[in-house]
Amino acid sequence: MTYQSRVKAVRWIRRASQAGFLVFFLWTLVAARHPESGEPSALLGAFFLFDPLVMITTALAAHALPLSLLFACVTLVVTLLLGRVFCGWVCPLGTINTMVSALRKPPANVLVSTERWTPWHRTKYYILAALLVMALFGSHAIGYLDPFSILYRGTATAVLPGAQYAVEEGATAIYHADPHAGPLHVTSVTEPVYRFLRQQVFIDSRQSFEGSTLIAAIFAAIVLLNLVRKRFWCRYLCPLGALLGMFARRPLIRLVKNAEDCRQCGLCKTNCQGAADPDKPEEWQPSECMLCMNCAARCNWGASTFEFHPPWKKQEVAPLDLSRRMLLGSGIAGVGTLLAFRLTPEAQGRVFNPGLIRPPGARAERDFLERCVQCGLCMKACPTNALNPTFLEAGLEGIWTPRLVPMLGYCEYECTVCGQVCPTEAIVPLPVEEKKTTKIGLASFDVTRCLPYAYGRECMICEEHCPLPKKAIYFVETTVQVRDGATRVVKQPHVDPNLCIGCGICENKCVFKDNAAVRVSSANESRHPKNQPILPMDERAPAPAPADTNAASDPYGSG
Amino acid sequence: MQTRRGFLKWTAAAGGALAVGPHALGQAAEPVSMAIARSTASPQEAEAIQAMAIKLTTQAIDALGGMKRFVKSGDAVWVKPNMAWDRTPELAANTNPDVIATLIKLCFEAGAGKVKVGDFPCHEAKLAYKSSGIADAAEKAGAQVVFLDESRFREMNVGGKILKNWPVYPEIVEADLVINAPLVKTHSIAKMTLCMKNYMGVANDRQKWHQNLPDCLCDITKFMKPRLCVVDAIRILTANGPTGGNLADVKRLDTIAAGTDIVALDAFGATLLGFKPEEISSVVAGQAAGLGTMDYLSLNPKELTVA
Repeated sequence: MTYQSRVKAVRWIRRASQAGFLVFFLWTLVAARHPESGEPSALLGAFFLFDPLVMITTALAAHALPLSLLFACVTLVVTLLLGRVFCGWVCPLGTINTMVSALRKPPANVLVSTERWTPWHRTKYYILAALLVMALFGSHAIGYLDPFSILYRGTATAVLPGAQYAVEEGATAIYHADPHAGPLHVTSVTEPVYRFLRQQVFIDSRQSFEGSTLIAAIFAAIVLLNLVRKRFWCRYLCPLGALLGMFARRPLIRLVKNAEDCRQCGLCKTNCQGAADPDKPEEWQPSECMLCMNCAARCNWGASTFEFHPPWKKQEVAPLDLSRRMLLGSGIAGVGTLLAFRLTPEAQGRVFNPGLIRPPGARAERDFLERCVQCGLCMKACPTNALNPTFLEAGLEGIWTPRLVPMLGYCEYECTVCGQVCPTEAIVPLPVEEKKTTKIGLASFDVTRCLPYAYGRECMICEEHCPLPKKAIYFVETTVQVRDGATRVVKQPHVDPNLCIGCGICENKCVFKDNAAVRVSSANESRHPKNQPILPMDERAPAPAPADTNAASDPYGSG
Repeated sequence: MQTRRGFLKWTAAAGGALAVGPHALGQAAEPVSMAIARSTASPQEAEAIQAMAIKLTTQAIDALGGMKRFVKSGDAVWVKPNMAWDRTPELAANTNPDVIATLIKLCFEAGAGKVKVGDFPCHEAKLAYKSSGIADAAEKAGAQVVFLDESRFREMNVGGKILKNWPVYPEIVEADLVINAPLVKTHSIAKMTLCMKNYMGVANDRQKWHQNLPDCLCDITKFMKPRLCVVDAIRILTANGPTGGNLADVKRLDTIAAGTDIVALDAFGATLLGFKPEEISSVVAGQAAGLGTMDYLSLNPKELTVA
């Protein structure tokens, strides 16, 4: 077996590895759901657990190192020994980028000018520097740029719901039109497929997410940039690639160039995925090499080979030459961005956004933001589509973090799936019994809309759906005046603030579908003592006697 | 006025039936229109409760003349439980799964070609179907468990007083027989939820019905043309209904009632909760609309005790 056929075999193994991890990724995406029984698989967050960027920034920002994240050390050690195999063999976003890049087929003369190392490759290192400085000051901004966050967020909140919409609308149109030739109905094919996808792949009822158009646009941009440059994201922007590149400067397996056999055809260079300049040994950039093996496999003369390089043997590689000025600038930009994030009163914790209803188990806001990587797995797994990406409710620091939108879905009383799938424990996995008493908000009535208040009509949807064994919504029978002095006796709903956990099912089921007559806000949430206006008190007890006994003689008092 | 007229009509019809009745037709007797099966024992172990549920259901249906009276060979039957909530059977928020499984079995024995089970739950369907135990029991009994699909409701001419055109689930309407099989629960507005109210699960966009529940329930009941209703009172929910969630609110009555008169069965159910039938507005409205009689004793229900 010649070296070349061996290296071609290795390349096929690399492709198989990429395909395998892509399938594994798709499985985690689909499996992130409320399980029929037990808990969702612990493997769902595997990519994040092996992601050293998440580990380092979480350690810096939250001063905490969840044990599970120590898996990321494996990735670092492997990178130290072998180089960026993680990028070339494992990362599913990298695989998608590779596949789309294959669609780019420019003429040879263009290839020679684009497929080479340029100073733009350094961009990702500067991005990494800025993110690390931000993390050092307690801001966990990596969720915007971590490749797995981008991949999960894009697929979970945009691609999959888009596919669901298309499948459901298409199948429903066929169902209603019922095209058939004699006894052969198209629906006999479409209906089973539709039911399978609906029950096994998608989440029913249909998922769609607020602001997913923007997420889709960003995801699409990253994918389409591969048509501009091969693996554009991986080469120029990916901060995880940069971090791994830093660890890949002195790998044990290195490209060796046999100058005598080289005909300088440039095939190795134009086929390189990372534009690591494999054509000249002194210019080869091991930190850009993703070990795709294309250079060695495409060389017709066996001039490019990967060989074991003992650590004690000195060999120079091309310098990365990061500019100190640029690094300093990145750090300053990081601090500046952080300050800009924190300018608002909400970010400083002076007020609370009423619409920022976090899932049960979510840590206190600052702590939460120091861990959440905005991957969207909680939103994907939420069985009622209640969890949606924020836009500005959590400030610029928390875009695309999860919030409960009761008009779209409610927090299912018996469900704790969001905490179970959260890869970074930004949402702590609560035992069901603890979840049932964890307050995420408080319901309140808009008496100008609520039917028994505003129109003297009967309604009880909110009370009926309240899931607590002792309902947090109770009725007070009240005589109300309606038109022309007529009166009616109706049951008016009230909220017991000691019991209400803010699950939002009342708002979700209210007859008003534009702006519910009972609405949940973040008040009373267990995670923020400052946002708890209600003192615990028995709602059936008489009001306590006023402290000021002279109140009656107060001229501004009762009148 | 209407009540009285309804009553007069009913007495006239009943009197006529009595006069012409069995002799003129040369038949043995009028078919039984209502049966109440009560268990003498109140077992505590799960298996014994299950055996009791099967026995009570079977005997109640047998007393009506057996499932063959309602099911023709090859019929498609839809069993409509109350399966609205993500609650286990012990909490008495959903119909007893063994009652449903028994009904399915009886349908197949009577020659049904297909039996489907489904509801349009208030909680997430997957969770409610699972927690209620009904999905598993029904599948085991050979029925097809159907998840109602919001995009498949169709606007139909209900032709009621309040409900004119309303989205109803075609697959249910198209069934040859719909067995209405709810359980007895209190309800914070309607006081009680039972057979008539169980039909809410065939319609979408139903939450606004609560503004005028009696009329809306009469409209949908008339549209659904009930032929067989089965009342599950093995466990009943006596407070905090219809959702429940507290074992203290659950009471064991170990009773199954079945019949063809939906108003009579609802009236009977009301008495189980300690109401008089005339206290339940939908029962009163149902009788006034000619859907049945709330004087269920006048139907001479066949009472069975099951050991």
